[in-house]
Amino acid sequence: MIPDRVQKLLIIGFVALFFVYLFGPLLVMGLSAFNTSNFPRMSPWDCFTVEWFDVLMNDARLITGVRNSVIIGLGVVVLAVPIGLAGALMLMQVGPRVRPWYYTITIAPILVPGVVLGISTLLFWDRIGLMLGATEDSIFYDGMFLTIIGQATFISAYAMLIFIARLQRFDVALEEAALDLGATHVQAFRKILLPYLRPAIGSAAVLAFLASFENYNTTIFTIISSSTLTTVLASKVRYGIDPSISALAVSIVFLTLVGAVIYEIVKRREARKVKAQMAVARGEATETRKQRSFFSEPAFIMFVLIVIAGMGTIYFAGTIGVEECKTVVKAERQAEIQKRIAERQQQQASERAVDVQSDPPKDEDQTDRADKVTAKGTEGYQGVFAPANLQGDSESEPDEPAVGTEGYQNVFAPANLTGDATENSAADEPAIGTEGYQNVFSPENLTEQVQPDASGN
Amino acid sequence: MNLVNYWREFFLKNGTAVALFMIIAVGMWLFMMIILPQLFMLDFSIRANVPPPKFGTEEHYYTLEHYKYMVFGSALATDTFNVIDLSVFFRTIGAAIFVTLIDLAICYPIAYYLAQVATGGWSRLMVLSLIVPFWINEILRAFAFKIIFGSTGVINNFLIASGLLDQPYDFIRNDIALWAGLSYAFILLMIFPIYNAIESLDKNQIEAARDLGSPWWRIHWRIVVPHAKPGISSGCTMVFMLTAGALAAPQILGGPSSLWFTQIIYQGFNQAGNWARGSAYAIILLVSCIVFVLVMMKIFKVRFGEMMK
Repeated sequence: MIPDRVQKLLIIGFVALFFVYLFGPLLVMGLSAFNTSNFPRMSPWDCFTVEWFDVLMNDARLITGVRNSVIIGLGVVVLAVPIGLAGALMLMQVGPRVRPWYYTITIAPILVPGVVLGISTLLFWDRIGLMLGATEDSIFYDGMFLTIIGQATFISAYAMLIFIARLQRFDVALEEAALDLGATHVQAFRKILLPYLRPAIGSAAVLAFLASFENYNTTIFTIISSSTLTTVLASKVRYGIDPSISALAVSIVFLTLVGAVIYEIVKRREARKVKAQMAVARGEATETRKQRSFFSEPAFIMFVLIVIAGMGTIYFAGTIGVEECKTVVKAERQAEIQKRIAERQQQQASERAVDVQSDPPKDEDQTDRADKVTAKGTEGYQGVFAPANLQGDSESEPDEPAVGTEGYQNVFAPANLTGDATENSAADEPAIGTEGYQNVFSPENLTEQVQPDASGN
Repeated sequence: MNLVNYWREFFLKNGTAVALFMIIAVGMWLFMMIILPQLFMLDFSIRANVPPPKFGTEEHYYTLEHYKYMVFGSALATDTFNVIDLSVFFRTIGAAIFVTLIDLAICYPIAYYLAQVATGGWSRLMVLSLIVPFWINEILRAFAFKIIFGSTGVINNFLIASGLLDQPYDFIRNDIALWAGLSYAFILLMIFPIYNAIESLDKNQIEAARDLGSPWWRIHWRIVVPHAKPGISSGCTMVFMLTAGALAAPQILGGPSSLWFTQIIYQGFNQAGNWARGSAYAIILLVSCIVFVLVMMKIFKVRFGEMMK
């Protein structure tokens, strides 16, 4: 039996581990946005910078993508919220036999893979356009229109779920009373039901916009030749990465937090208002005190101040002294590489010396042949595979001391072939020729092939 | 006659304007967005692959060739079966089940802890903080894992610095990054249904069982799990569906030699230009997802409505 204390510690450890799993990746990505390294990473840490935010702001493709995403998001809100509302109202009224079928069909788009929704939308409107004889530049072939329709298919179902939750607590007697008192159906709908549903409409709209904004699976099929934030992001991440994507993630997290704080403040204000009204109703207070405007709310002012101070600090730290820091780091890297090359060469030289000394005289013949092969090998192939040549790349481009690790250039560099792409080991590599399979042409290997022959004689 | 009465009553009850709004909106949603597009896709998938101008002509005949291709491959191939596509399909389904099980194993204890053990503001804060990663784009979440698991990533640097490895381990080629990324991406869809289900469980039941001498595993097996069953089944279904249908994470985190089934569909549309085969494969994906939901409903003995609360 495990003692209680240990058990408790284990549980807390597990929960802590879980939260590390949840936030660790975001933290690493966030930090990589402030590193000067051209490849997004947290370690090794070079210099603190905000230059990637500048890169982000000047990325025209990304800006277009964001603009399209916003337009599509608004379109989806306009389409999905009324559909969700109608769907929820309808669910309340269909008969018990139809109800499960109706529910299953309307909820299905949430479960159907987004890819399938995208494809079916694309094919359907393509065929409709064809039947109507529409031209290529008509609405049926317009990426934005198709994306709005495709996304609204399942986002309407989200909206419907929100409305159902709210409608279940609706007191039908209110509407009946309005009708009894002579209101028309439209009046009852507008003056009773809609105000009651207002919070649900708000959350459905926000949810619809966010769901649309971050959708990829459906969008990638329906967007055709346009682009949205997610499609631009996906192609960026797949084909070439730099830390400006991390900077984008940091901005999104930041906006999310701002949204959450504002939402919290609004909610508290409303709660206070209701409480004040209740006090008036009970006769404890004579009138509701006029509320401060939202912008003079102390919590809001505090929040704005903190944000400004924090951003100021980060900007200050991230722009001043970055260049100096970069040169220092570059020099350090260079020095380190030089040192390692020297070390390695020295080591090899001493190894060779030991080899020659310890060679028994009987093998003289072989050594001779091996030496000949060596000479031939290096001359004939000009050492194409020699690390010094590959390293030449990085030396001519002092900006990137350990080239092989970044981007896809030098895919065939020894450092990458060994699977070693770490900066450290890449720096180790200069004296390569001894590791991995890339040295098929190196003297050592050729000697080995020669040896059995020789001993056979 | 009955139907006419029904509609008349419907219009009377809601008023003409509202009734029309409901009928038009719901009708458009059901037919123009859900049912007909799926039927058109089905129709498309059982016809020959011809360019659009030939649609409806004799060359656009009905055929099952695209489904046959999925199983047997092209007529020219030497293999009896279409090894590539079939193995990708089964690997995708297998990996999706695996990711679902990982998520269940991680989330059940956490959900139980948050719902029953943790108390007060601390637990409220934890539940709230769960939502933050969820609002970050799926692509960015995958990107974060690429940074972490890359050969110069944080984990490899750590392992090498601590001397556990002397060469970086290729997490991406070995699909570990993909599994971790997918489990991460949909973890909240597992946690919230289970959390909601367990939260509604009366603490007294657990205490009674404990007082009567039941060991902790039997408490879970006989009391908590049966109570959380709808939550577990809904979480598992959501995670499986989204994993099997994921496109961004496999594109970003998948190793060079491992494709995801959605990627094959995507290639059918964007590179091979064979829309008919692409839609046949999409239908296959859709049908396997439906089968999975039915199996889940059977295993957990829950109805669809209960699951989708």
